[in-house]
Formats: sequence, structure tokens, C-alpha cells
Amino acid sequence: MDIKLEKIDDYRWRIPKTGTMRVPGVIFSDEHLAKELKRDESLVQVANVATLPGIVKHSLAMPDIHWGYGFPIGGVAAFDIDEGIVSPGGVGYDINCGCRLMGTALKADEIRPVMRDLVSVLFKNIPTGVGSRGSISLSKKDEARVAFEGAAWVVKKGFGQPEDLLRTEDLGTLEGADPTVLSDRAIQRGLDQLGTLGSGNHFLEVQVVDQIFDQRLAQAFHLFEGQITVLIHSGSRGFGHQICDDFLKEMGKQVSALRIELPDRQLACARLKSDLGRRYLAAMACAANYAWANRQVLMHLTRETFQEALSISPRDLKMNLLYDVCHNIAKKELHEVDGQERMLCVHRKGATRSLPPGHPNVPEIYHDAGQPVLIPGDMGTHSYVLAGAKGALDKSFGSSCHGAGRLLSRTQAVKKAKGRAINRELEDKGI
Amino acid sequence: MRGSDVKNLFENAAKVLVHLMVKGESLKETLPRKISVSGEDLADLMVQWLGEILYLFEGEKEVVTSLHIESLMPSALKAWVNTVPFDPEIHEILSEIKAVTYHQIDVAPKRDYWEAKVIFDI
Repeated sequence: MDIKLEKIDDYRWRIPKTGTMRVPGVIFSDEHLAKELKRDESLVQVANVATLPGIVKHSLAMPDIHWGYGFPIGGVAAFDIDEGIVSPGGVGYDINCGCRLMGTALKADEIRPVMRDLVSVLFKNIPTGVGSRGSISLSKKDEARVAFEGAAWVVKKGFGQPEDLLRTEDLGTLEGADPTVLSDRAIQRGLDQLGTLGSGNHFLEVQVVDQIFDQRLAQAFHLFEGQITVLIHSGSRGFGHQICDDFLKEMGKQVSALRIELPDRQLACARLKSDLGRRYLAAMACAANYAWANRQVLMHLTRETFQEALSISPRDLKMNLLYDVCHNIAKKELHEVDGQERMLCVHRKGATRSLPPGHPNVPEIYHDAGQPVLIPGDMGTHSYVLAGAKGALDKSFGSSCHGAGRLLSRTQAVKKAKGRAINRELEDKGI
Repeated sequence: MRGSDVKNLFENAAKVLVHLMVKGESLKETLPRKISVSGEDLADLMVQWLGEILYLFEGEKEVVTSLHIESLMPSALKAWVNTVPFDPEIHEILSEIKAVTYHQIDVAPKRDYWEAKVIFDI
């Protein structure tokens, strides 16, 4: 399928509304990236999303857009609460996959001599990689509490401080979670994975603040040059994967009720107001809460590990949460559309929420700065901390990109990296 | 993935999935399990079938050692699989597969064999 791209301005491109598309597509990209996009099917996926019932304004893609399953990664789509749909494929298998950034009082020079030891202890204490099992084994009853209360439950159990919740999107608990809608399989898969990073592109990275671009924002976020920070990227693990799988299956069977021809099975969806749509949102909220609890536990383990490895007190370490934000979710949000406030269900699949200063959902401590937006880079490249700006609400339903994007598939990347001593290359760069 | 006929294709697809996830041979006694799945068509049936094999490993921590498809129609499949409990001393996990996707799935007969393309989310 040949997709036509029209230039709106230097950083926005439009896919005109054609065929069964209900709205146009809009892609945030510069000219260079826009040329790259034509190499895969991600633009077709933006157009496919635009065919779904109840979509409002446009089908969006952030600058890190790449080919996903059904929705593109970097896709943002808002649906009318009465006429619209919810789609598990618009959230992704890893529900509430997200990032959590912690600052410290440490400077890079102070920990460089002990970096190898620190990394060894981090590997020992933080379950990571394929098949990792958590240090916390949950009973089914406790798992239901995690699904209902999210990060708040693990904080009550001693994994962190109540202040951490104030710096977590939605205070670490998404409303509307109902563990009674979960399948036995989802419950089973969540029992032993709390407090695990997982595999794939999930990571824990010890970072250094290299450059400050905006001193005022840096002060608001308590960041300074040379400072050690830690970034965690993980999600809801097998629990979320199973929930996505369960509902894709059920919605696939009932999609005929929508009386539309789906261009891709992975776009299976249900009306927001249907029983199935409501049950998915209740199950998705359980997974979102599990993910926030997971990252909270991971942060707690990281704090303990730093204290142990550096023989340092919590007071001297000052490993404070800067912010935790998810990038795979569907949320009911109020947005202004054509001068009117409307309740929409905003799907962000590989897209970060980005709210401006003064927005009611921005934590009080960041009221004047705006919501921190965490953008991790590739291994060995820079990550960025940004702040939500006012224009995002109008242009992208308050959304931004979530990572470095992808120019190569994983297979192509492995092929290209063959023969390279990547560990050595990183070491040479001081990583 | 290929098979001499559609039944053989489904058997091979399951074996490929197991080989991608885990390696190592356990001498423990195998446990037979009966699996029945239904689907809208062959592609859907393939996703449901592989989803069962994936869940056995990810949810039940059971490694499939052998399998046999008893009957297969475009909308239903019945099979026996033998499993052993996952043992970290013997088995090595090779990759964590999140899900079997419908993305670009294709299950079709070729001239003298059957072929399927299935994308796993990792």
C-alpha cells in the first residue's frame, strides 16, 4: 500500500484521509526521518488506526514511530467515550511498560572506581534476563491487592516511601482495576514476577547527567551536571502479556458486533461502552498497577544495592524518585476538541504522556516546570529528561515520544553487530 | 515453518516455539496433557495452539518434550503433549516470548508442503 505524506510544517506530516479512514494521520518527524518511514509498514498502520470507530481528530505517530503489531509503536489515538472503541493492540502486550528515573547525591567521579563492583551487585540483587523470577512470591490474594492498589500496596509492605507515590503517574494506582475479571492464566503468570526487570529491551541503567539545556528545569527536577542517576525500564511482565492475549482473543471473536472490516486482526477492539470493553479496561488497569508496583520494588532493590555496594546511608545516597511515567496504556482523559471539552480514551502505545505546567495531573512539586518526560536512548547513547509543554495538549493529546525509535529490526541489528566487540566499544567510551 | 501436511505443520510450529524458548533434556517422567483449541480459521487456530504451548511454559513452568496432533480441522484442534517440569539445573531459557501475534500471520498450502509465518513478540 502506497501512503502519501503531505508536509504540514518542518516537523509534522499528514496522511490524507482516504478510503475507509475516518480521520487523517499525522506524524511528528523531520524530513530525514520521514524518508526512512517509507521503508516499513508503520505508515500503513497509522492509516489503519484511522479507520477505527470513534477516533477523534487524527491518528498520530510520535517521532520514534516504528512498525508494531496492529498499532505502530509511537502511536497515539483518542476515541470518543460514547462512540469509540478500546483496543488491546493499541496498548501493547506489555501493559504500562514505562520508565522510572531516580536522582542521587552522587557524582560520577565518586563511583567510577567502584563501578564494576556496583554493577556486579546490581546483577546479583535485581532479577533480570529471560525467565527471571521475583524475590517476592505473591499469594493469589496479595496479587489481587497489587492489581487493585498498584505501587501503593508495595509501599505499604515496606518497598519505598509514601513520597515516591507523589512522583508516580496517577500516584501509581490506576482507577477502575477489577481483579475479578482476570483469567486464571493471567493470575498464574503474575505470581512470581513482581520485582523483575525482564528481558528484551528492558533495562536498569546507571547514568551520568552530561549536559543541562535548561537550568530552571534542571533545578526543578533536582538534576545537576556530573550527577549519577538511575533509569529503570520495565512493565507488567507475563501478567500484562496474558491479559492482552486473553482480550485480543475474546475481542477477535466478537469484532463482528462492530460491523466493520478490520484491516488487521491485531486491531481487534470493542466499544468502550460494551461489557467487553469495560472488562478490558478493568483488566488493563490491573496490569498497569502491577507494573507500577513492579518498578517501585525495582527502585527499592536498587536503593538497597547502592547502599550495600557503596557502604553509604540512605541520607547520603539521596536516591529520590524523579518521576515514573508509562508509555503503553489507554486512559480516559478530558481534552479540548474544537473548543469543547470531551472525555476521550487516549491510547498511547510507545508514547509518553506529556502534560504542561499547571495541569491538574502534574505533581504539585512540578507545578511550574511541567510533567517530566523520560526518553531513554540506545545503549551507549544519551537519554533525555524533558518537560511537558502547553502545545502538546492541542497537538498530540498531551503525548511525546518514548525512546530512541528503531531504524533496524532486531534481526537486522544483530546481523549488523556481528563481529563487533560491543562490550569493548562501550568500555572505551567509559560505559 | 513448514510441514508435509497441515497437521505436520502445526506439530512443527509447536516444536519450533519450544526450541526458541528453552533447551535441555530432562530424564524425569513426562506428564501427558490433552489440549483442545478452537479458532475462526487456520491462522487463528495456529495462534491459539501456539498460545497453549507458550502458556504451558510461561504459566505452568512445563516444558513440552513431545507432541502429537490427534485431529485438526480449520476451526478445531485436538492434541496430546508430553511435558516435564522446568528444572533450572537442566533447562536453559533461551528467550522470553511475550506472545504469539496475529501480525502478518500466514498459514497456507504450497505446491507439495504447508508453510506458516508467525511472528512472536519478544
